[in-house]
Amino acid sequence: MNIVLPEESQQDASSAEETSLLVIILDSNPGQKMLRESPHVLTHCVDSVIVFANTHLMQKVQNKLAIMACHSKSSQFIYPDQGKHGDIRQVDGQYEAFTAVEKITKKNLAKVLTSDGSAVITESLLAGAIAMALCYIARLQRTKPPGAKLNCRILVVTGSSCSTSQYMNYMNVFFTAQKQNVVIDVCALDQHLNLLQQGCDITNGLYLKVPQLQGLLQYMMWVFLPEPPIREKLVLPPPLKVDYRAACFCHRQLIDIGYVCSVCLSIFCKFSPICTTCHTVFKMPALPAVKPKKRKKM
Amino acid sequence: MADEDNPKEYRWETGYEKTWEAIKEDDDGFLQASVDDIVQRAKRKRQTLKHGSQKLGMMRHLYLLLDCSESMASQDLKPTRLICTLKLLEMFFDEFFDQNPISQIGIILMQNKRAERVSDLTGNCRKHTKVLGNLGKTNLSGEPSLQNGLEMALSSLKLLPSHASREILVIMGSLTTCDPGDITLTIDSLKSEGVRCSVIGLAAEVRVCRQLADQTNGIYNVILDDSHYKDLLFQQVNPPPAAVCLEASLIKMGFPHQPNNEGSEEPLTMCMCHVDSVDEGSKLTTGGYYCSQCFSKYCELPVECRVCGLTLVSAPHLARSYHHLFPAANYMEVDYSSQTNVCFSCQKPFGEGDKQVYNCPNCKKYFCLDCDIFVHETLHICPGCSTNPLTFQIAVTH
Repeated sequence: MNIVLPEESQQDASSAEETSLLVIILDSNPGQKMLRESPHVLTHCVDSVIVFANTHLMQKVQNKLAIMACHSKSSQFIYPDQGKHGDIRQVDGQYEAFTAVEKITKKNLAKVLTSDGSAVITESLLAGAIAMALCYIARLQRTKPPGAKLNCRILVVTGSSCSTSQYMNYMNVFFTAQKQNVVIDVCALDQHLNLLQQGCDITNGLYLKVPQLQGLLQYMMWVFLPEPPIREKLVLPPPLKVDYRAACFCHRQLIDIGYVCSVCLSIFCKFSPICTTCHTVFKMPALPAVKPKKRKKM
Repeated sequence: MADEDNPKEYRWETGYEKTWEAIKEDDDGFLQASVDDIVQRAKRKRQTLKHGSQKLGMMRHLYLLLDCSESMASQDLKPTRLICTLKLLEMFFDEFFDQNPISQIGIILMQNKRAERVSDLTGNCRKHTKVLGNLGKTNLSGEPSLQNGLEMALSSLKLLPSHASREILVIMGSLTTCDPGDITLTIDSLKSEGVRCSVIGLAAEVRVCRQLADQTNGIYNVILDDSHYKDLLFQQVNPPPAAVCLEASLIKMGFPHQPNNEGSEEPLTMCMCHVDSVDEGSKLTTGGYYCSQCFSKYCELPVECRVCGLTLVSAPHLARSYHHLFPAANYMEVDYSSQTNVCFSCQKPFGEGDKQVYNCPNCKKYFCLDCDIFVHETLHICPGCSTNPLTFQIAVTH
């Protein structure tokens, strides 16, 4: 089907028909811990991301870029936008396209930041933002000229934490990305993100928790700028072992051995007579006697 | 009888359909756009029939009954019926195990009036692909025996625990079957055991197949061409509604993880999955998955521990199946009257070409047709709902 073998993608990496699309998801949620403590950090991050985005565009003429802001109540595309920008001129000899990226991104980000800010929501809804990015990528894949090749990846830059409340949304977007051959990279600015790390592992992306925020741009340039086929040849931070243990639905604790409902596949750490997710009643008395038999025949 | 209850009995008895009138040329005189549109609408229609929160048989045990009689050598599918079938089955197995990671498939051949089991029920996709590769060389001879095939599948499915969903999928190229006894008795026992039998016919409708499918709540379809064949086969990927007699139970499972022993080198160990295989012996390796109960090592998941019998899975395996149980809400079709300029998710500008837009009942965002299909076929979460703190958990709580 649409699975591209690594050898194939390496061979025609030099062909001019190939385009790489980078979608950057910038977490601008004011509720994240890092920004609550020192809001001016966002300026530093935005500057780094814009320079990084321009570097991506500089690598090849065909390279494409999209930037999204993941805010507390909604996510939206901030570059490219629908408006006309005829008034952007060369500044200090900078290439106009780069100036355009910077101006449009900053203008739209300012709009997003001033739009709402009342309630503090500590967890950013990154799964939704990735879902939008995947729809956008799917559209570009549909409308590309026949014969052209579009390599897509998503870079998530966030300082928020991740909890299991979005678990199902995350898993759906990771499996979709895997199917569509979209690589998800994650740059964690503040806290360790267990779920997003699983996503990187599933989609063959890279996960990096930035040790020092001052060096953000340099970390991004070194780790996330090279395209996936080139990465194999570089010495990058070794992949951490990903913990794929399940969290039980009842106490949200990681478990080694658990009980799974045969109807809805909910995971419980102890035997209970009724499934709390689908309200199925389980046969209670037969269980101890039947259990060893079942195992043999499964 | 079953097919006499069917209101729409034969094609020639139904109303006169002017199917060609639905196809219109576009500005450049091409038909493709119009055909694509019809295909997309058909997909959407099928989507709206799906309902969430229904009980599904998630732990599927499917026996594939493959006709390998003379009739499979027919060349109406290119290059032959058998080779076309094997190609499609390979794709089907990949997709099946992708969507149903803790399910199992077995294969039975029907030829020379006999049934032959070529692979037992297993959840290992690679084993099946290997078997399929060898099947291309089988001699196609004799007549198939539907009854023998069904009996063999039934004898194995009978032994499964009560929470397992039992299914048989018959791929029938022949128009005849040569049976040793009364096949209606076999159908009755299949029915009483709650085995769901679906049939895909490659030639024409056969009464006994129709009866088999109707009696056991299966689906019977006859293919039109190879793309229709693929379509019918892939319908089987989605888990069916749970049979009435399906019992619910809690199944003990292990979630292996690698212990984090910083500093020390991981020991070299042998895995249990290759320990007695002839062609590739077990090698000493680091890494792998350790059974959480008895610490025997396996190369890959999901697997059933050979030592203690515990089913070992990883959490994403279970998560792959969640979208069957908690699908995204179906969008409503609304006429476009400039409600919004762009599609919420893919940023496609709406223009005069868009007559309909699609509206999510939960988050009230508007989407284009392509996104509607992408969201419901592949993504399984609504981008609008999942970016809003008020709605992102709707699918979970319902």
